Amino acid sequence: MFTRQKNWISGAIWKPKNPHSLEHLKFLYGMLGKNQTVTEQNRSLLVETLRSISEILIWGDQNDSSVFDFFLEKNMLSFFLRYIRQKYGRYICVQLLQTLNILFENIRNETSLYYLLSNNHINSIIVHKFDFSDEEVMAYYISFLKTLSLKLNRHTIHFFYNEHTNDFALYTEAIKFFNHSESMVRIAVRTITLNVYKGVSNQSNSSVDDKAMLRYIRDRTAAPYFSNLVWFIGNHILTVDLCVRHDSDHRSRDRLSALVAEHLDHLHYLNDILNINIDALNEVITDHLLNRLLIPLYVYSLTKRKRLSAAEARGERKHVSSVVSLFLLSQVWLIIQYPSLVQPLAEVIFQGEIELSSETDIATGASGTDSPKLKVREFKEPAESLEKTLANTHRTYTENQIKTPPPTAEGNSQFFGERQESATTQDQTEEVTSPISEAASADNDDIASPNQNSTDEEKLSHRMTYIPADPPPRFSLENRPYLEAIFNNLECSENDYAALFALCLLYAITQSEGVSQDVLDKVMMPTDKSNDKTYYNIALVERLLRIITIAAQSSSKVRLATLEVSIKLLKQLVYKDGKSYLQDRHLASLENAKECSTQRLRNFYKSEEIFLDMFEDEYRDMKNSPLNVEYLMMDASILLSPTGTPLTGIDFNKRLPCGEVERARRAIRVFFLLRDLSFTLLNESDVSLPLTKDEACVKINDVLDLNNSDLIACTILLKDSRRQERRFLVIDPLQLILVEPDTKRLGWGVVRFVGFLQDIEVTGDKDDSRSLQIVVHKPSTSKTIHSRSLSLLTGRFIFDDHIRCMAAKQRLIKGRIRARQQKMSTIERLLDISSQGDGGSGSYSRSGPIPGRSHPVRVTSEVQTSASTDASVPAASKSAQQCQSVPEKKKKESKTKQRSKESNTENVHSSMGDSIEVAQEATSAFAVQTLNHDSIKTSSFNRHSPKLSAAIKPDVQEIPMEDLSGNSKHRSGSLDRPSLRLQTNIHKQYTRSHSHSPRRHKSDSDPTPLKQHDSRQPSAQTKKNQKKAQTSLIINRPHSHSSPIPMTSARAKSHSSSEDSLDSHKGSRSFLSQSPKSLRPADAPTLSLVSQPEMEVIVPSGTILSPKLIPPADEERIRSFSDVSTGSSDSASSSHVNVSTQDMKEQPVKKGKGKKKLVATADSEKEQNPSQELTLLAQMVQEHYKFPDTPEDEKLPFPNQQDI
Amino acid sequence: MSYAYLFKYIIIGDTGVGKSCLLLQFTDKRFQPVHDLTIGVEFGARMITIDGKQIKLQIWDTAGQESFRSITRSYYRGAAGALLVYDITRRDTFNHLTTWLEDARQHSNSNMVIMLIGNKSDLEARREVKKEEGEAFAREHGLIFMETSAKTAANVEEAFINTAKEIYQKIQDGVFDINNEANGIKIGPQHSPANANLTSPGGGGSQGGGCC
Repeated sequence: MFTRQKNWISGAIWKPKNPHSLEHLKFLYGMLGKNQTVTEQNRSLLVETLRSISEILIWGDQNDSSVFDFFLEKNMLSFFLRYIRQKYGRYICVQLLQTLNILFENIRNETSLYYLLSNNHINSIIVHKFDFSDEEVMAYYISFLKTLSLKLNRHTIHFFYNEHTNDFALYTEAIKFFNHSESMVRIAVRTITLNVYKGVSNQSNSSVDDKAMLRYIRDRTAAPYFSNLVWFIGNHILTVDLCVRHDSDHRSRDRLSALVAEHLDHLHYLNDILNINIDALNEVITDHLLNRLLIPLYVYSLTKRKRLSAAEARGERKHVSSVVSLFLLSQVWLIIQYPSLVQPLAEVIFQGEIELSSETDIATGASGTDSPKLKVREFKEPAESLEKTLANTHRTYTENQIKTPPPTAEGNSQFFGERQESATTQDQTEEVTSPISEAASADNDDIASPNQNSTDEEKLSHRMTYIPADPPPRFSLENRPYLEAIFNNLECSENDYAALFALCLLYAITQSEGVSQDVLDKVMMPTDKSNDKTYYNIALVERLLRIITIAAQSSSKVRLATLEVSIKLLKQLVYKDGKSYLQDRHLASLENAKECSTQRLRNFYKSEEIFLDMFEDEYRDMKNSPLNVEYLMMDASILLSPTGTPLTGIDFNKRLPCGEVERARRAIRVFFLLRDLSFTLLNESDVSLPLTKDEACVKINDVLDLNNSDLIACTILLKDSRRQERRFLVIDPLQLILVEPDTKRLGWGVVRFVGFLQDIEVTGDKDDSRSLQIVVHKPSTSKTIHSRSLSLLTGRFIFDDHIRCMAAKQRLIKGRIRARQQKMSTIERLLDISSQGDGGSGSYSRSGPIPGRSHPVRVTSEVQTSASTDASVPAASKSAQQCQSVPEKKKKESKTKQRSKESNTENVHSSMGDSIEVAQEATSAFAVQTLNHDSIKTSSFNRHSPKLSAAIKPDVQEIPMEDLSGNSKHRSGSLDRPSLRLQTNIHKQYTRSHSHSPRRHKSDSDPTPLKQHDSRQPSAQTKKNQKKAQTSLIINRPHSHSSPIPMTSARAKSHSSSEDSLDSHKGSRSFLSQSPKSLRPADAPTLSLVSQPEMEVIVPSGTILSPKLIPPADEERIRSFSDVSTGSSDSASSSHVNVSTQDMKEQPVKKGKGKKKLVATADSEKEQNPSQELTLLAQMVQEHYKFPDTPEDEKLPFPNQQDI
Repeated sequence: MSYAYLFKYIIIGDTGVGKSCLLLQFTDKRFQPVHDLTIGVEFGARMITIDGKQIKLQIWDTAGQESFRSITRSYYRGAAGALLVYDITRRDTFNHLTTWLEDARQHSNSNMVIMLIGNKSDLEARREVKKEEGEAFAREHGLIFMETSAKTAANVEEAFINTAKEIYQKIQDGVFDINNEANGIKIGPQHSPANANLTSPGGGGSQGGGCC
């Protein structure tokens, strides 16, 4: 419609065909001439005309200078001005603003620009009162100003600042919108002011005119602008505070985060201005910021202490909660580095408000007539709105042209702040109340001088109080109310809500470049600026150590972030260039905390796959993304009281852990952090971490010598790209490597892909026996949310035949297990769980005799009457219970309870531990005895017990009974029996293929572990079976964790049924468990005779098994057995294998635990020495011998087993 | 003109990639791309319709303010959508995307919709960055991607509108808190007769005729 209209008109007035030509502009000029008044009818026409003008002008600027000449010659800008002033001008003002925008944005020719600006039309347009209630007008207008501000430079600035009228419309009009409701407008205002300041600062050492401009900005606009801005910010803070106070449920987190971000915007804005470094301006900002905001609102809020001032007396002093003020102050310190601002701020925070007294002096003395309140720092509203002030100022200034000499800022910062304070406060007050102020500013200097004197005195007094050069310096919190408040907030026994902020604040202060070391030295906070850190603030360091210690404890309320900042701050205070200045006693308490964290992590340690992944993930996370305090303090979510639930979306390190997994994660992280700290302070490097050393890994494009390596050729179908690649598969201890033959050297290969074995997932293909589905997962990193690919490689590997395929699969699976095991054992070493793990040889020889001894036992149980053995157990247990001193029992029980309370992890552990114990007992009570008896030599034996258990596998069924006897004390509520079964399961698998004794075989096929049979059907390669086996395992596992009931019932049963026999065995049992010394007399050599024949029979077959009892090598063998069995049975589940092996591996750990518990009971037996072993053995046998006497209980073991 | 929602966009990327031209091209179709004319703006607004609702897009160019940290961070935070632009004829502008993106993620609210735009697709002969690379980058970082030409107006419309659609969808899904203006989204005034008469240089409206 409109188009047609346009065409029609243009047709009428010979519109030139080329829209980009001088002719066309002339035509448009004619159009403007004909429509000098905006009306409803012609407004569309005018809009299009104005738009076309901008287009042609830009075209002209780029192509034909005559176009622009014409525009200027005809003074077409004056049309613009005329239009906007008309009644209906608003119809076209948006278009007008757009046209102007386009003009200034796109004109490249400097001269053209000057011409456009020269006739002051632009300033007239700037001051025009558009209809700013219209969002669109507002947006275009402020964009227009912004565009103009970007064009400011040393030449153009004079077109905007009019010396004669003392007017800087672009600037003054813009700042009127500093608190506009629309955020984009506020941002634009800030941009404009920054551009103006930058433009002004470029003028620096130039003419008088420029100084006048600077003065104009400083004297006429800066004070009103910044006082209003500061008031605006302060009110914003009060809103933040309100928001925090009224939000206990984290409901307004979005709002709060917007508010906090806005506060940061303000700080960054002020900092950007300060960085432009216009001294005169910075003084004003510093003054207002310090005395109208930072000190009165932020710092005063740190203490609850009432201060004397007029406003306060009336109880009107605005304040925020100390948490908010700590948080905000930290932000201030992290962002603003301007020395003249942060130095005085640091002094106030550290020394308290020293100048207060002096102020009073001045007030009453030197300038006695002034009322003291003038110098009181106060957060209060400027007397006038900015707009009003600006209008007034403008008037007054033009009327009254007296020049104020700009205050000079020389002198050291120490008194700069104070002088500035009184001077400018006065200035401020005067100016705000009555913007005449010429006289007032002139007065400034008079007031300032006496003030300066007093500052000197004060400096003197400072020097007397604190003599930093004089070692050893002392430090007390006396007369340091704010520092004291900060220190008090470091207390986090209840929670670390405020402590985190206090830490961040202190850290930020020590990090600040704007604070001189002198100031920090007064409170003994050495930083990297100090030469050495011998004298650090002990009070502070001890508080930090306390936080660290608390963080290392269980159920601590210290968040990870808090711990991390504490560590950072601690390092800052005592560590420099590889040297630690930490005193020994402090270091000791740190080591203690570290030990504590290790201990705690030990409790979480478990065999599950996920533990290793979590462990490595946490390590990577710690190394890759160390805490950044600045980012931390940008997060508003920490402003709300600490919470535990992840449902809030708060990052893990900024909240308390929720649930067992997170607690484990936390324990891992604390362990890493403290370990890292400890190593740093000792100036050592951690050789054990990370678990995977980069330098040990093969990398892509490496060329490897593969002669004599196992290479498996395969074709890989990649899932993503659908590409097909021919590669050779190499399996290294850690990595899966795909190589291509190297063309240059025979037998060498070029690495095309590497992935960690531990991250692979291998599945067979039902339909194709030659191929495997392999996924190599990316090492998990929690920070990769934005990258979508989760695996390094997903593809199908096709091998030449099914045998090769099998081989590859087996090796991959085995490799995965080994790689993981290796890492797990490293972790165990790190946690001192398996000091036994390595201790190997010594203990090995020690326990040598054990296997031999065990045989008779097994024999007895099996041959003699397995049932009877078991039967004896309840009796024994009973007697044990009876004879045991009550307190001890209680202790044990509580211990067990505690344990059960702990995570499933813990359960797994304990179950493990118990199963080991069970295994021991299977070897008959003597095992327990040995253990106790060994306890002097401790761990070595324990380490072997898993193997023991393995060896005695066939008898495992009978174990439950036994355990009651020996260890019942610490097993009272044990949920663990199921795990025993699991273990049996594993062992059986192994036994199956290797069992030499038919009897054992028989016992294997006992009815109890039904599912095991499936899994043990090895030769049947049918996948169904494998799957079954797998399932059985899966079923078993959860069972083992969660079903205490069967156990209890079984126990109950055994108890009741064994009631009769109790008495008869009481004696010997109690003997056993209670007084080791008495064991000696109880030798019954005859017994051995009974079992002897059996023993002999069994031993040969047992020998194969017995190695498991001790040597690591054999353990290895066992593992490989199980591997083989899985492999050969082609169990499709790598996880299956994993579980079993890991369980086995776990045992040493568990053992350690079991041991600990045992130790308690065994304490009394410690005295025993190896030479008594024989006696013990004899005694065991004796016990067994006695069992036949109680045949009633014979059947017990089996039912029990089934119950399990 | 009344609208249901107002979305604030920012447009970011190296200098010289054609941000302001893109902006003008989208917000004001009356300026037809011409061979010997390069013209751009720093601000523009336009009305579009999504799902039968009038939605106003306000686009702010952040060019020239990079030296002030306070300004960039504020801009990012105040926007609901960002157009991240590179020049397909200049490899370096593509290489800098990561930095831009990091910046954007750092300062913006997490819901901000970011669209990656490879501009100057008309200059096929001088192409240095393959379309696939842009696609891959976008996929990797979860962005919407499109190649445009401010010169030929190819895909310009789609780029802005697709971004708006995604934001709109997020509003429907309740991801954006529309009551929090800090998100860069504003609910339109119920009735604004006063504004209804005012002309806008942007799309829609009576003067939009130039595009035909």
